[in-house]
Amino acid sequence: MGIPKWKPKNLLGIESLSKIEIRKILTLAKELKCTPDKNQSYLAGKRIVNLFMEPSTRTRIAFELAAKTLHADVISIAEKSSSLTKGETLRDTALNIQALGADAIVLRHSSPGSPLLLSRIIDVPVINAGDGAHEHPSQALLDLYTLEEKIGSLEGKKITILGDILFSRVARSNFWALSKMGAKVTLAGPSTLVPKSFETMGAIVSHDLKESLADADAVMLLRIQHERQSSSHFPSLEEYTRIFGLNKYRSKWLKKDVVILHPGPINRGVEIDSELADSANSVILDQVTNGVAVRMAILCLCTLSHKNK
Amino acid sequence: MKTICLKGARIIDPSIESDEKRDIYFRDNKIISPRDAKNIEYIDVTGKIIFPGLVDLRCHINDLSGGNGENIFSVTRAAAAGGYSTVVLMPNLNPIPDNPATIQFIKDQIKKDACINVKLTGCLTKGSNGKVLAPLGSLKNAGVVAITDSPLSPQNNQIFCKAVEYASMFDLPVIDLPRDLSLSKEGNAHDGPTALKMGLGGYPRIAEELFVQRAISTSRSLGTKVHLSSISSHGSVDMIKDAKHKGVMITADVSPQHLALTETKISNYDTNFKTTPPLREEEDKKYLIEGLIDGTIDCIASAHEPVKEYEKNVEYDLAPSGVTSLETAFNISLKVLSKHPKFTWINLLKFMSLRPSEIIKIQGGSLQVDNIANITIFDPLKKWNFISSTGKSRAFNTPFNNSQFTGKVIKTYVNGVVTQNDKIKQNN
Repeated sequence: MGIPKWKPKNLLGIESLSKIEIRKILTLAKELKCTPDKNQSYLAGKRIVNLFMEPSTRTRIAFELAAKTLHADVISIAEKSSSLTKGETLRDTALNIQALGADAIVLRHSSPGSPLLLSRIIDVPVINAGDGAHEHPSQALLDLYTLEEKIGSLEGKKITILGDILFSRVARSNFWALSKMGAKVTLAGPSTLVPKSFETMGAIVSHDLKESLADADAVMLLRIQHERQSSSHFPSLEEYTRIFGLNKYRSKWLKKDVVILHPGPINRGVEIDSELADSANSVILDQVTNGVAVRMAILCLCTLSHKNK
Repeated sequence: MKTICLKGARIIDPSIESDEKRDIYFRDNKIISPRDAKNIEYIDVTGKIIFPGLVDLRCHINDLSGGNGENIFSVTRAAAAGGYSTVVLMPNLNPIPDNPATIQFIKDQIKKDACINVKLTGCLTKGSNGKVLAPLGSLKNAGVVAITDSPLSPQNNQIFCKAVEYASMFDLPVIDLPRDLSLSKEGNAHDGPTALKMGLGGYPRIAEELFVQRAISTSRSLGTKVHLSSISSHGSVDMIKDAKHKGVMITADVSPQHLALTETKISNYDTNFKTTPPLREEEDKKYLIEGLIDGTIDCIASAHEPVKEYEKNVEYDLAPSGVTSLETAFNISLKVLSKHPKFTWINLLKFMSLRPSEIIKIQGGSLQVDNIANITIFDPLKKWNFISSTGKSRAFNTPFNNSQFTGKVIKTYVNGVVTQNDKIKQNN
C-alpha cells in the first residue's frame, strides 16, 4: 500500500478541500483499517504533538491512538498542563513546540481560525481537531466514512443534521463534506440555534422536526451544549427535548433503514433517547472506531507529504 | 513678519462652497487678504489642490507619551501626513480623563509632543464605567470639546439621557458610539454570511440600531444635539434620515473603512480587519455612501484605533478591535466617493473638515480671511504605495497595507506652520 500524492500541507477545514482530496483521505483510511496493526509503521520516528486547549476525550484519544498505531511518538499537551495558563500566547507555545522538533501539530482550540493562525506561524503541518464553532474536519471525514460504509454513495441522499447548529463546528464541517459528496443537507432545530441565514451557505433550514426527518436517509444528532448557551437561545433542556428530542414515538417519522449518527458526547434523554441511540440504526460506535482509521489517514497524508526535514 | 503665498493651486473652500484656482496668503497663523500681504515668500503649488486642514472626530491612542504604542507624538505626525490639522482624542486613555486635573495633565503632554491641534474629549461617566456621571461642567471648563465614553457606550439608558440633558446646559456636544452590549457582548464580527461560515459573529446590526434609536429619541425629547460615532448599519442610516426629516438635532459620522470594506474581508481571520463596529455587508456600505452624499450622515471620522502588533497577532476572537486609519483616511474616502456620480470635492471637504469642526464647535473647514491657517496641500497626480511599516503611525494594524493610491497629501500647515513636508519647490 502506498501513500497517495497529497498537496495541502495542513488540514484546516473541509470547506477548502476538493472532492478528490476528500476521496483520497477516505480511500487511505479504508486501506489502513484493513491492514494489520504491525504493518503500519508509516510514521516511525515522527513526532506528533496533540495540543488540546479545550477538553476532549474522543478526538484526543483517537488522534493519539492513530499516531501510535502508525508508530509515531506522540506527545499530548492539555491546556492546564501547558504554559498557556502562564500567559504564553498560542504563537509562542507553537514556536516552542516546533523548536522542539515536532513533525505535525494537532490543535484543538476554542477560537475559530486558530489552526490557520498557527499554520501561518510555523512550518510543520497543522491539523485542526476542532476550532470553536468553525470546523472539525476529522469528525466530518469519519462521519462520511461511516455513512458510506452503511449506505454507499451519498450522491442525492438526504441527510438531516439536527440540534445546535449555530455553535457547532461539527455541523459546519459536515455540511461542507456532505454537500461536496452530493448529498442534500437539511439543518434542523430551534430557530435561535438554526437561523435562516444558514441558507446563504446553501443548506436547507427547517424548524419542523417531523418534516426534517420525513425522508432523511441519515440523521445526525448534535449535542445540545447547554453549558455554552446562555438562557437566551432556548428556554430549557426539557423544552428542547419536548420539541426536538428524538424518541421512540417520533422514530415512526423516520425511514425504517435510516442511519443515526451522533458525534458524542450524548446527552441521553435530551437530544436522543437511549432506545434509539443503542438501536440497530445507530452507528454511533462505528463512528468512534472509524475515527481512528480516518485520523491515521490524515496524519499520514499531512506528515509524510510535507518535506520539512 | 513674512507672508506666505501659495500660488497657482486649485483651492477648495467648503465654507463658501467654492472650488476655484486662486492664490492664498497667510501670515503668522492667519489667512490674510492679498491687500495686507507684505514681504511675501511665494511657493509655487501649480497643479496641486489646497483645502482646509482635515478634522477628525474619532481618534484613539495607546499611550500619552513614551510607551511602545501610539502616543501623542506619533499620532499627530500620522495625522499630519494624512492631511489633518486637528484630531479629537477619545477618552480611553491612561490616566482616564474624567476629571479636570487629568485634562490639564493631558493638555501639558499635548503641548510638549503634538505637531497638530489635539482636542480632548472627557468621559461621559466616571472611568467610562457607565455607572456615575462624570463632572461634565468641570470638564468643559477644563477645555474638553465633547463628552463620550467611546469606544464604549453607556449601557444604562437613564445615565445616557441624563448626561445628554446635563451636558446641554453647558452646550457641550455628546458623542455616542452606539452599541447595546447585551446584544453584542462577545461580538467579534458582524452576524453575516462570512462570519457564519467562520464560526464568528455576535455583533448584529440591531445592537447598533437600538442605541441609534435611543440617541434619536433622547435628542428629540430634549431638543438637544447628539452625535453618533462610526455608524455601520443600513438600518441606522434609515433611522437618522427619518429623524433629520423631522428636525431632530442628530448628527452622525462614518469611518473610511466602513465606506470601503465589507465583512468578506475577514474571511482569512485577518485581525487587521477587526473593527468596532464590525465591517458589515455590501448593502450597508451602499447605504453609508448614499447617506453621506444625501446629507443623512454628516461627516467622515477616521476611527483610528491603533493596536500593538503582538496584541493583534493572536486568535481572531481574542484580538482587540481596531484599525489605524489617519494616514489613509483621505485617500480611501476620495477613492470611494469619487466613484459616485454626485461626488464633489467641496462635499468631500465638508465631510472631512467643515462639518466635524461645526459638530465640536471649533473654527475649521474654511480658508476665508481671518481664519487660522490650517491648510493642506494635496498632489492629485502623485502615485504612491502605502506601507504601514514605513508610515508615521507606530501601529501597523491597517487594513490598507500595501494599497496603491493616486494623490497624496504633501504638506500640512497647522496654525501657519509646516508639519508635513514632502518636497515642494520653494521660491523666495
